[in-house]
Amino acid sequence: MKPFRANMLVCAGTGCVSNKSFKVKLALEQEIKRRGLEDEVLVAATGCQGFCERGPLVIHWPDGIFYQRVSEEEIPMLVTEHLIKGRPYKNLMYAPGAAEAPIPKLADIDFFKYQRLIVLRNRGIIDPELIDDYISNDGYMALHKALTDMTPEGVIDEITMSGLRGRGGAGFLTGFKWGICSKARDQEKFIVCNADEGDPGAFMDRSVLEADPHAVIEGMALGAYAIGAQTGYVYVRDEYPLACQRITRAIRQAEEYGLLGDRIFDTDFSFNIKVVRGAGAFVCGEETALMASIEGRMGKPRQRPPFPAQKGLWGHPTNINNVETWANVPLIIMRGADWYASIGTEKSKGTKIFSLVGKVNNTGLVEVPMGISLRKLVFDIGGGIIGGKELKAVQTGGPSGGMIPKELIDLPVDYEKLAEAGSIMGSGGLIVMDETDCMVDIAKYFLAFTTDESCGKCTPCRVGTKAMWNILDDITRGRGKKGDIELLKEVAVNVKNLSLCGLGQTAPNPVLTMIRYFKDELEAHIKERKCPTNKCTKIAPAPCQKACPIGMDVPTYVALIAERKLDEALEVIRWDNPLPAICGRVCPHGCEYECKRGTIDTPISICSLKRFVVDYQRARGADIIPRKEAHGREKVAIIGSGPAGLTVAHDLALWGYAVTIFEALPEAGGMLRAGIPGYRLPRDILDIEIDVIKKLGVEIKTNSSVGANAIPLDDLKKQFSAVFLSVGAHKGLKLGIPGEDNFEGILDCITFLRGVNIDKNMNKPGGKVAVIGGGNAAMDAARTAVRLGCEEVNVIYRRSHAEMPADPSEIESAIEEGIKINYLVQPTKVIGDKGMVTGIECVRTELGEPDLSGRRRPVPVKGSEFMVNCDVVIPAISQAPDLGFLAKGHGFKTTRWSTFEVNPETTSIQGVFAGGDAVSGPATVIEAIAAGQRAAVSIHNYLRKGEDHRDYRIPRSYKKMPQVSLSNEEQSSLRRPEMPHIPVAERKGTFGEVALGFTLEAAVNEAKRCLRCDLE
Amino acid sequence: MSVEVVNSVLEKYSFDRSSLIGILQDIQRELKWLPEEALRMVSWRLDVPLTQLYALGSFYKAFSLKPRGRHLLNVCLGTACHVRGGPAIQEALEKELKIPPGETTADDRFTMEVVRCVGCCGLAPVIVIDENFHGKVSQADAVKALENYE
Repeated sequence: MKPFRANMLVCAGTGCVSNKSFKVKLALEQEIKRRGLEDEVLVAATGCQGFCERGPLVIHWPDGIFYQRVSEEEIPMLVTEHLIKGRPYKNLMYAPGAAEAPIPKLADIDFFKYQRLIVLRNRGIIDPELIDDYISNDGYMALHKALTDMTPEGVIDEITMSGLRGRGGAGFLTGFKWGICSKARDQEKFIVCNADEGDPGAFMDRSVLEADPHAVIEGMALGAYAIGAQTGYVYVRDEYPLACQRITRAIRQAEEYGLLGDRIFDTDFSFNIKVVRGAGAFVCGEETALMASIEGRMGKPRQRPPFPAQKGLWGHPTNINNVETWANVPLIIMRGADWYASIGTEKSKGTKIFSLVGKVNNTGLVEVPMGISLRKLVFDIGGGIIGGKELKAVQTGGPSGGMIPKELIDLPVDYEKLAEAGSIMGSGGLIVMDETDCMVDIAKYFLAFTTDESCGKCTPCRVGTKAMWNILDDITRGRGKKGDIELLKEVAVNVKNLSLCGLGQTAPNPVLTMIRYFKDELEAHIKERKCPTNKCTKIAPAPCQKACPIGMDVPTYVALIAERKLDEALEVIRWDNPLPAICGRVCPHGCEYECKRGTIDTPISICSLKRFVVDYQRARGADIIPRKEAHGREKVAIIGSGPAGLTVAHDLALWGYAVTIFEALPEAGGMLRAGIPGYRLPRDILDIEIDVIKKLGVEIKTNSSVGANAIPLDDLKKQFSAVFLSVGAHKGLKLGIPGEDNFEGILDCITFLRGVNIDKNMNKPGGKVAVIGGGNAAMDAARTAVRLGCEEVNVIYRRSHAEMPADPSEIESAIEEGIKINYLVQPTKVIGDKGMVTGIECVRTELGEPDLSGRRRPVPVKGSEFMVNCDVVIPAISQAPDLGFLAKGHGFKTTRWSTFEVNPETTSIQGVFAGGDAVSGPATVIEAIAAGQRAAVSIHNYLRKGEDHRDYRIPRSYKKMPQVSLSNEEQSSLRRPEMPHIPVAERKGTFGEVALGFTLEAAVNEAKRCLRCDLE
Repeated sequence: MSVEVVNSVLEKYSFDRSSLIGILQDIQRELKWLPEEALRMVSWRLDVPLTQLYALGSFYKAFSLKPRGRHLLNVCLGTACHVRGGPAIQEALEKELKIPPGETTADDRFTMEVVRCVGCCGLAPVIVIDENFHGKVSQADAVKALENYE
């Protein structure tokens, strides 16, 4: 053979082929020919090189340079740069992140660096379609050694001592299995290569067959020699056309070379291999079903014993191993059992191939020593989670395996450890799930799979998998019931114990591990009709209801508005929400983002419709005071009169409890009054809503601090049967930059707003104001400053408009009012003179990789420092609860954000409950109401001790309303109304409400646009 | 048509009754489905009961006992595709073709099937049209890919 100075190896695995790697190969060959290099550079195709995510891949040897995402257009440059000028071509190199330097060599890339290639030793090096390539890499040497130097028993001993275990999933000792079959007395014996790789998310076997088919053939020949078989079958999945083609071609070549057929290497050993294509049945991966299929029958499993080693294909002893197991065999024979046993853990020897897929940056095929930790696999090799999201679980073993939660990320991966965790090794699929994946949905997905694939022969599997699926389907559709979890477990255990074959015996694993590790998530689906990840879209009657933290029955009240039945509409609204006129103004309305109408034109104005109903009914004196359901129950104290506290008071008062609220400030309302300015939430609206709650008998004591220097908490615990802490998060967080504490003119956002809104002692703080932050609090501070007459107001935000958490309409109004929003700017230092603030030094930023919150991290741009002149700085970055009121040694468990730890609402002290911002950190009004509603239920159940039990509120329908009939013309002509606002010129100097609300006609027409998803 | 196909396939397999699955696969490859006429002929020429052929035809997913369209569209819903948006792709294709999985469009252009893993998890979500793989598709990509098949 003529030596080439360089090899360009183009990946031709299924992944790269579908990325048009053959076109790349052709273009490369043509370009090399055009440049007259065809005698110097060899272009060859290889099997799957593993890094499918980055295909098509080309590797340059001997330099070991790894090129990825190679396109036809880049080929001329690649040839010019690397093959002619001798300098590796940077444009096509791999870089772990957009901002990071490219890594030229394959051996230096994390994805490859931590792998150990034994089975895949030839991947990316040989052309799988050329037997000479395999032979020149020591191929068929092991077979020669065994046939000429070793007895069949010797081969079996070597395999036994190596500790090799079946790679198909169960992990039975391979040598032991061979031993049984070799002892069976029969003239005719068979061996089978199981390549019916049906696990979704696994493609190891496909890859091995595509990359190195001769290794499988050689392994099978060695096995046949060891047990005395004359014929072998390779049973390949129908879905793998390329693998099928490559193994068929390899067998033909081996026959031509005399490596298969009669009297191999002139010995008495004769062996032939046939390829049988599967026809799409997962159960055929089970050995008895597989044999039935090879015999041309329906692939249904049968009872064992007799085991295949005794009675297999056509009644003759048969040994079945999977592709990866066979591919291990030649190397063990070549290099010896001791060498092999030195790799891996005590009971799991050698390496394992995994397909690392799902929400991981580097998806692909990896071979690693047994015992490697999941962390190393996911984070070092896999490069972490896509989009910087948080890892949630890793699923191993496909439909037969389980979900391993992130807490077990340091688990060493071997047969025993995975089994202890409730999963199995399986054939080696590792599916990485992130925080957006719903574990209930995943368990249901696998059950749908096993239900479909159950062959139907035995009842526990056929009926049991379907029964479990039905329960989970109900749960994901919001029809979960008490007792479902227990029932699921019972069915699961029965299916596991009573099924005939491995399919049924392992099918409950995904469900059982989901219950074991993700019970909270499952219970949220059942008890609160909530899917924490929002994946289960059918869990509430309509998407808007699903999105609403309190599951308001939007479709019904909107339908009632469309029919002008406003009395009833208000009844529905009040049935769900104790503070509707407030929510109708300041709610961030997640419901509208989920509204289906939004995918057609614009979402329904759900928030403003709610406001309309309450305002309209009030104006005509038709507001509703809810009726009390019981009387004369225990006394409950609530500390803090924000939305969470008011909600608990409202609900408990309705249920007959005597509620007293202690409020430290001179007026009730908490952050609703202290934080939200009057132009967004008029004071009279707030007063009316609080009055309704007072009318239910709730007493509100203002100017009544609780804690160390005021009313002792211990006294309240004695006087009241339960205490609810809803103290909010009123302490502004500091910027953490130099100069922050040195000058006058730095005003914490909440202090500033409270001074304006409650204490009424805050006048124009200065001429030029800089507000730091991008949330609604920052907008409130800036717009308030404008109203106080400040001439210049700058908002400084370190990310871009897209990441800004403030409501888009707030940002729009702020800009209308002349506020300048400075995006991608980060303050670095407060500057002052003679004790007064004179400005703030800032630096421009650009967005880098996403951080833990999923938003892209701002990275300062060097040398871009500049000054913003101002005499007042208002930090509005975030708030935390002020726990200073608690006495020393209070005994509460708190988090590192100084919020209360609760489970689910009870604090660590009996009889004391907590909710709202004091638990969640700064959140929205509607989230505080949701927390209050849950806490009220918890307090009620705590006080009633099991009697008159209440469940958490769930999204429900108040009544079934029919669809409003509309003419086609109406349907297409109706548009979302613009909210009328007072003119910008009239806003300065006054705190009058900016948004004026809908008219009756506008509201009715808007309500008619609703698509009524609840009726689907 | 089916007579010649059945005859040539049976000859290729030397009328071997143990290769029933392979025989049916080859017939299906030619005809795109297994018409009753063809199955009756196999039954008669090999002397196997027709029920046995129907048992195989209904048990294995690869076989179709209904006529199929000119192109076979497989939407992968393996685990990797499931978590990377496969269900949304399926929804978009159902909407575009106006058929559920397992059905054929009125113009016989496409038959849509759902498959559980085609082993290209690195490219999830994946659709396969005839033998061509389309990886990392968005809803729009998937719908657009249909244009190349008349």
